[in-house]
Amino acid sequence: MKTMRIITIIFGLSIFISCEDQLEVNPEDNIETTTVFATRGSINGAVVGIYSKNQSGDLNGNPQLMSDFMADNINFVGSFPSLQEIDQFETLATNATIDNIWLDAYELIGAANNIIVNLPAVDLIDLSDAEKEQFIAEAKFLRALTYFRLVNLFAQPFQFSGGTNLGIPLATQVFTPESDLSDFQLERSTVNEVHSFIEQDLLDALAVLPEDNGDRAEAGAARALLARLYLYREQWAEAADFANQVISSGEYALAPNYDFYDDNPTSSEHIFVVINTPTDGPQDESVPGSDEVYVNFFNPAPGGRGDAPFSQDLIDAFAAEPGDRRFDELTQAATDAGGNNTFFTTKYPDIVNNASDGMELRITEMYLIRAEANLQNGSSVGDTPLNDINLLRDRAGLADLTTVDLDAISLERRKELCFEGHRRMDLLRNNLNLRPGGGPESAPGANKVIFPIVDDEIVNNPNITQNPGNF
Amino acid sequence: MKVQKLFGTFFMLLLTTVAMSQEKTITGTVIDQTGFPLPGVNIVVEGTSNGTQTDFDGNYAITGSVGQTLLFTYLGQKTERRTIGASNVIDLQMEEDAQALQEVVVIGYGNQEERKIIQNVGIVKQEAIENLQVVSADQLLQGQSAGTQIVNASGVLGSAAVIRVRGVNSINSGSQPLIVIDGVPITDTATNTLNRGGNTGINPLSFVNPNDIESLTVLKDAGATSIYGSRGANGVILITTKKGRKGERTTVTLDVSTQFSESTDVPDILTADEFRQFKSEIATIQNGGVTVTPESLGLGAIGSGGTDWLGGVQRTGISQNYNLGVRGGSEKTSFFFGLDFQDSEGFIIGNNQQRAGARINIDTQVNDWLKAGMNLGITNNRLNRVGIENNINAPFTTAFLQSPVVPAFDDDGNFLQSGSFIPNIFARVALNTDELKTFRVIGNAFTEISPLPGLTWRSEFGIDKLNLEEFVRQAEFNTPGGLAQQIWVSEDRWLTNQTLNYTNTFNDDHTLTILAGLNYEETLRTRSNIQSTGFLTDDLRNLGSGSTPQVLNGDRFPSRLFGLFSRASYDYKGKYLVEGSIRRDGSSRFGANNRFGYFWSAAAGWVLSEESFIQDLNFFDYLSLRASIGTVGNDRLGTFPSLGLFNAGGFGDYNGQSGIVPAPNPENPDLKWEESETLDIGIKSSFLNGRINFNVAYFKKTTSDLLLAQVLPPQTGFTNINRNVGEMENSGWEFELSTVNIRTENFEWRTNFNLTTIDNQVLALNEDAATDPQGRRIIDGPIQRAIEGESLNNFFLIRYVGINSQTGDAEWLDANGNITTNPSTADRVVTGSPLPDFSGGMTNTFSYKGFDLSVLMNYSYGNDVVIDGLRFADGNDAIGGIVNVRRQNLNFWRQPGDNAFLPSPNSSTFNLFNQRSSQQQLDASYLRIKNVTLGYNLPQSALDRLGGIFSGVRLYVTGTNLLTIKADEMDGIDPEVTDDIDPLFQGESFFTAPQAQLYSFGARLTF
Repeated sequence: MKTMRIITIIFGLSIFISCEDQLEVNPEDNIETTTVFATRGSINGAVVGIYSKNQSGDLNGNPQLMSDFMADNINFVGSFPSLQEIDQFETLATNATIDNIWLDAYELIGAANNIIVNLPAVDLIDLSDAEKEQFIAEAKFLRALTYFRLVNLFAQPFQFSGGTNLGIPLATQVFTPESDLSDFQLERSTVNEVHSFIEQDLLDALAVLPEDNGDRAEAGAARALLARLYLYREQWAEAADFANQVISSGEYALAPNYDFYDDNPTSSEHIFVVINTPTDGPQDESVPGSDEVYVNFFNPAPGGRGDAPFSQDLIDAFAAEPGDRRFDELTQAATDAGGNNTFFTTKYPDIVNNASDGMELRITEMYLIRAEANLQNGSSVGDTPLNDINLLRDRAGLADLTTVDLDAISLERRKELCFEGHRRMDLLRNNLNLRPGGGPESAPGANKVIFPIVDDEIVNNPNITQNPGNF
Repeated sequence: MKVQKLFGTFFMLLLTTVAMSQEKTITGTVIDQTGFPLPGVNIVVEGTSNGTQTDFDGNYAITGSVGQTLLFTYLGQKTERRTIGASNVIDLQMEEDAQALQEVVVIGYGNQEERKIIQNVGIVKQEAIENLQVVSADQLLQGQSAGTQIVNASGVLGSAAVIRVRGVNSINSGSQPLIVIDGVPITDTATNTLNRGGNTGINPLSFVNPNDIESLTVLKDAGATSIYGSRGANGVILITTKKGRKGERTTVTLDVSTQFSESTDVPDILTADEFRQFKSEIATIQNGGVTVTPESLGLGAIGSGGTDWLGGVQRTGISQNYNLGVRGGSEKTSFFFGLDFQDSEGFIIGNNQQRAGARINIDTQVNDWLKAGMNLGITNNRLNRVGIENNINAPFTTAFLQSPVVPAFDDDGNFLQSGSFIPNIFARVALNTDELKTFRVIGNAFTEISPLPGLTWRSEFGIDKLNLEEFVRQAEFNTPGGLAQQIWVSEDRWLTNQTLNYTNTFNDDHTLTILAGLNYEETLRTRSNIQSTGFLTDDLRNLGSGSTPQVLNGDRFPSRLFGLFSRASYDYKGKYLVEGSIRRDGSSRFGANNRFGYFWSAAAGWVLSEESFIQDLNFFDYLSLRASIGTVGNDRLGTFPSLGLFNAGGFGDYNGQSGIVPAPNPENPDLKWEESETLDIGIKSSFLNGRINFNVAYFKKTTSDLLLAQVLPPQTGFTNINRNVGEMENSGWEFELSTVNIRTENFEWRTNFNLTTIDNQVLALNEDAATDPQGRRIIDGPIQRAIEGESLNNFFLIRYVGINSQTGDAEWLDANGNITTNPSTADRVVTGSPLPDFSGGMTNTFSYKGFDLSVLMNYSYGNDVVIDGLRFADGNDAIGGIVNVRRQNLNFWRQPGDNAFLPSPNSSTFNLFNQRSSQQQLDASYLRIKNVTLGYNLPQSALDRLGGIFSGVRLYVTGTNLLTIKADEMDGIDPEVTDDIDPLFQGESFFTAPQAQLYSFGARLTF
């Protein structure tokens, strides 16, 4: 009995002592922030992560969808109220869809800033200076791409007041728990300031990036984005020059046909494409596969929702010149969500995995930019506008034009790039109403042809200025 | 013939006994306190196996010798002893046992005599639940205990109930109570299964066989819960399973029942022709009176057929239940063995469940200082799931909304595509597979050593092992290319409880009990989630046959908890009682700077009925006052809430390259538990010979350090940071009244009634929270808004007024209360609350001879629900006007004076009508007859005639959800709804499938 008591006490004490140290538990499926810069592998992973952020449907997919239905390419018939608001130029600051764009964009920018700010001080044996610079250049390209997307959506274009109007806040720091919050409550920079920030990022990037960098950002991508920036800013000479640099680099070439839209990222057509695969998608656990659910809108049932068919205006535009392979090969006839018989694009066909690739920068756009800039500038850098346009018409199976004017280039641009998110900016910068016969709400400069600064920003940043209009 | 033989043997035995002893026969009559004869009283000669029972007239006869003692026992009466003397007659008037309060009740880490309890606990005893026929254990609590509110999410099999002990005590962390089964706190991670719409997950209590449950104790005040430390803030539900009984004959109980299941109430929606008529009439009016035919609207001609979708997704579900219990024990060992099989069909197509369970509870007194035992329950469950709520695969939701003109089948009976994103739900259910298989073992093994008198060391090792596998296969017809998905989750917890308990009574007056213990738990949740697409045919079923497999999740979530606790109780003569407890909890979930938390409580009680001045009143059988104060925590924070992390895998990868991305929340090493401080005051009383019991309690619970996601400026690149900043208060009253209304020889009527009121107030939100125009801090949602200084849950909507009978316009109120026909979100105000003014339950039980009838009702008053799906099911234009509508929409405004439901088709408000407003807010007060059970116990004579094989035969019928009294506007809509267990979304639903109306018939045989 006595022995038993002693055993009891010893046993009891031993359990007591052994438990206390067990409470330190480390995650097995995440990396703690403090250790990201400890190895070359995790640094590369953090750069890859920025590309992964760029896959978000809120940055690549939804903005293109919305830009085309705010303009005259898509007849939106869906039931999501937040998209209906945008379609009817009644977008409110509380709109969840635009909120996601804003938040995802600054998350990407934060991830890019982390590399741009913290990497220079990192010293690792297996990480060369050249490699460090390239990682930083890639981060800058993706940051520039994202700022450009934001400024186009949330601010009036350059044409509105020569770029002196408010753009977006330019965050460049990295947040830590010790940070002063006011560093992240910046006021909006002007459109010109934002544009020159983007320009600088891209110039920095193209100085470092290799000509060929596989599926990651390369020098041509930075040049191509610069060409688009200059076109939007009506800096015709620079636009033509950078577009021409990309065309003449030999890295890219017009694809012989239109099979580059999905699952063909190595096509010579692509300068920079957002590659979506079934396995690297989920930004959100609740959505199986890739989260590029915008694919649902572009495709009819079953599989898709059938919310975003061709507008009648676009159907008419193609019908005016029959035989266009861009219509014949890239559409399907089906019933839309409202029960109407119409046409849908097949540029985003992967309704099974929602993993269609996002069109970002392709060589065709460079020909269109060169043509437009040359025409506006009265120059023929690289080639004449007529030749450039006929090159594209030739691929589409259409007869050559004998002369081109701005309208002809715009029409070609529309048919070529429809559903790729260019149309809204193309109309606005050319001072055209977004809708055929549209009223003042869709006119260039109208309050709601751009988005309000989102509520999350307004509430959490006392220095922010809302866009004019009733938000 | 056989019966005669038995009687013969009995008679022979009797003769033998008489012949063998010096004994004499004692006779007598036993009556109850009202003077009526009491049949069925057990009488034994103490220390022998010689016993008998009184007959229907209360008479008995037994043999015994002078000096022996007769023991009279009867349920609910005080046990009496009479020594056999010279007389051959012993008559007896039994006294009601005023205090069934002598009973021992299970509390945290121990037991307590009920009359000495100064904690606030809700006790649901076996008598209250043994005759309830329920599908899952949470329903045993419904309406039974004050302060415990159970809202069933829906009638879908396997759906979780929202369980609240004293209201909502958290904003962002869970508000579900801790459930402890035989000392094992079980896991209840909602995200273990795939989301099927709503946010309710699978019911953690569907893993316990309700027939195995002996009693439930709900720990409510800090005095009761603080011993559970960082997990006690939402209340604790202790479930005790049936144990054997020492020294009792082994009884076998076999219960077999059949159940029929139907929906309670569904909205009245339009038939195909009514829909065509409705659309054509409206289009005609909008067309300036020029007729627009249904054909021209693409709806087909009147009479050209259609589909009754709502009829098609419902059925009468038939279920079988088999339950076997074996219970008994020898002098030293007792055991309970249970077996359970339930094959259920829900009333919704595709919703089936098969549950098989087994249980062994055994304990043995090895010698005078050692006791050992084990409790083990195993459940195997197979559930065919269906979608719920705002989900196109939800049969009910889709059947409400699908246009009735859409055909489901072609002429040959093949499925047809619906042509819109609202699918042909019949095809989805028939062709797709969605099966959830779960296997769960919950059990513990223990030893109890008593090294010294009064001192007990109890050592417990427990496990809760949950294995889950969910398989989804979508057919080609529904998902081009097909899709298979399989998710495996195992959530394993092992734990040990080591407790030392010392009890002693000094000088007969001072009773002291001291408990000290430790509790260590390790939990590991492992998940694999794989999806595959690209199948050649539907015949290729599994992941490996698809062309594109993807790992969606593959991860592990470990957590650990270490607690030390102690409780001391002292009473003087059972009259003055004090108790204190303390617990120190360390958890791997808390931030590095706050790893350990201390929780405490102090309680005092005064049993007034032990005082002579109360006893002199000769009125109270029992009367006590008690009060407690203390703190408890809530640790439902997630696995690594305090760390700053980069996520890997699919989150960070790009085109086959491995990547990492920052998680949305930066680190916060200060993160800790939410803490509640509770004050509780109560009175317990029993009077009129125990015929009336009345208890009242008041509580005030202040929860601070509420975990709130402080939204960071978006420019930081982070969404928010978790900080312990909020404060909230719940206060309320609880009333419990139980009465014996009538008690005569053959008839008894008892009533149990309880009522709870809870007031919730948000005291503080984070400093940087959004503010409303009045400058108050808020958490805003599309339907609700939590406002500092007001209740956490308030519906915040535009006020809908109705249709102006003169203009035909729909009218709302703007923020200032003026009529408007074009309101904006700025016109939202508080319009209602999902929290009831009061709620509770009432049980009436009647017994007449062998019959018993029990009627359980529950009720809720003063709460509202918002049925968000009405934005689609009312009005003309939702989703391009392709969806069906409720019948009241036929009543649209046609001419001045009309008292219409819908505006004039020409009104500018016609398409605004169904915007989000209080139009979708409905009064959800209800009184529901939850359960009616009528049973008949065969009398002894009938049992004898059956050959004496059975010691009891009970036949019963049960009806569940038979009648619901509710507001007219709730026609077709169930008042008990919620599509989310999240505290911020209470009382919201898209379209919940209604509760099931169940009828069952069964028999319980005991032998």
